Amino acid sequence: MYRFAWRNLFSRPIRSGLALIGLSIPVFGVVGLMSLSNGLRGLVGDTVKQVQGVMLLRTNTPSPVFSDIDPKLSDEIRKLPGVKNVASEFWRVAPPVDNTSMVLRSLASGSTEKRLSNFLDSPVVLGMNISEHNRLDSAVYQRALIKPPSIGGRFLEESDRGQNRVVLSKKFSIQYPNLDGSPKRPGEKIKIGTEDFEIVGLYETKSLLLDVVLVMDIVTARRLLKAPLDATSALYVEMNSARENERFSKTVEDRWSEIDSRGMNEIEASFGDIMGQIDVLLLMAVGLAFGVGAIGIVNTMIMSIMERVPEIGVLRTNGWSSRQILSLITLESLYLGTVSGIFGCSLAIIGCWVANFYLKDGIRLIPTPTILIEGLVLSILTGMLAGMYPAWRASRWSPMEAIRYDP
Amino acid sequence: MSMIETRDVTKSYRSGEGVMEILHGVSLSIPAGQCAFIVGPSGSGKSTLLHLIGAMDQPTKGQVVIDGQDLTKMTEPEKDLFRRDKIGIIFQAFNLVGNLTAFENVLVPFLPVGITPELRERAKAMLTKVGLGHRLTHRPIQMSGGEQQRVAIARALVKNPQVVLADEPTGQLDTRTGEDVFRILRELQRELGTTLVVVTHDRRFIQPQDMLLEIEDGLLKK
Repeated sequence: MYRFAWRNLFSRPIRSGLALIGLSIPVFGVVGLMSLSNGLRGLVGDTVKQVQGVMLLRTNTPSPVFSDIDPKLSDEIRKLPGVKNVASEFWRVAPPVDNTSMVLRSLASGSTEKRLSNFLDSPVVLGMNISEHNRLDSAVYQRALIKPPSIGGRFLEESDRGQNRVVLSKKFSIQYPNLDGSPKRPGEKIKIGTEDFEIVGLYETKSLLLDVVLVMDIVTARRLLKAPLDATSALYVEMNSARENERFSKTVEDRWSEIDSRGMNEIEASFGDIMGQIDVLLLMAVGLAFGVGAIGIVNTMIMSIMERVPEIGVLRTNGWSSRQILSLITLESLYLGTVSGIFGCSLAIIGCWVANFYLKDGIRLIPTPTILIEGLVLSILTGMLAGMYPAWRASRWSPMEAIRYDP
Repeated sequence: MSMIETRDVTKSYRSGEGVMEILHGVSLSIPAGQCAFIVGPSGSGKSTLLHLIGAMDQPTKGQVVIDGQDLTKMTEPEKDLFRRDKIGIIFQAFNLVGNLTAFENVLVPFLPVGITPELRERAKAMLTKVGLGHRLTHRPIQMSGGEQQRVAIARALVKNPQVVLADEPTGQLDTRTGEDVFRILRELQRELGTTLVVVTHDRRFIQPQDMLLEIEDGLLKK
């Protein structure tokens, strides 16, 4: 019966093919979107792993770029038990770099993908209190510095205080090249806003979210961005032990209601929550597509059995039971679901590969075996469920009704 | 001993708002191994009677007894098994399954339960007997009408049934092919000792030793 059911699909190849495509597309969609979601989670996970302390921001700000806190808070935080290091930071969206603004750069880009990529790569200024940051154990950018001899350069030092000196990501050194097209190197200049900066070093974290930061002294950054002399966006706090982060965060939030203390685990968890909600939305959209695919299979199977009513009658007169007819038709739609799943997953793998080829930095589409299996199972279930009504209908005919039916 | 017995069988169908009675109390008895012909004009109820005997339909009233088993008291699954094991059916339109080869068509009754090597051998032997030993892998579309009907005969007889029912088996064949097909059917019926019931308009095939049952307006003529 298994071979018979399989062969029945090939008796109407065009119709079966269309149903297959109809169900493959949602499988392709679900696997592609879940791979993207997985890639984004991985991206945030990579970032979070590099930031081991706690960040204090103003409540309800999505990013330090939009945060302003009381500059005196750092002194009070230092007095809390278990606090090892506190480093003040000033964050803002960067002014045009090399006379190119984020908007201009996005609009000048040819393709939509490039525009999106340039939008995600929008530069951000981080002004750091150099002496405080150099005391940190888990300073992200210091650790990510590309050391000589590969490129050379250094990180910011006390002598850079108030000076127009910047540490640039390797990515930006390529994206904002010299006039001859060569990537920028330490010792060369880059224009930020209206001022020229000397590049003292290059770093590379390989995180899409971190490799967009122009790192400079906090005094320089405040002056460049015309902010008050004591303007502070965030405090980066290191505890004696990372295990104390959670307790510390609770203490801070209880004491200063306007401050949000974000441990990196918390950031990862809240990002996970957001991604979970996005996943639900994606699955709802894909669910609709699956519904359409299922209707395609129902239609295919109903058309197929209506054309084969006399044939079903022959089977019934030859002793096939209603249940065996039910199994045959269900098996056919099960095969259709399985083949659609395999086809859709294969398309998704190719699609992810092509997308990853063009998305060179940061975001990757990662179709894990679990995602592929989920896509396949979803397709098989859809195929099977969609075939149940036609199968039930076919099984209800009496042998004589079926054999006398004129399609 | 009678193989087939109908007792006061009535069959009616709903037609629009009314009820149309096709058979009005038909009683008959066909002995085992007999070849019986049911003849009569179109619409007289011949095929309906054949379908009742083949457990393909349920009488409105009366009893149909095959080999001592009352079909009217059987459940649907019991009737399915009865048709599979004890009844062979041949239709006017051949009714082969288009996706299957001649060999596979002969094995259709057993596809859901699995094909044993013995069944395979039997199917090959039966196709050889009907002269299609060289056409095992051909599909219906690749065969002539006569060949298709011979496959249908092989399918009906492969299970070695107690009763073979043929509904106008030569109705779609030319005279010579029809004669060939009927000759094969008779030879196999004699060889296997099966009870054969044929519904036909064509009285050429009826021989003196055959049983003749004439139906007119749903009644069996005495």
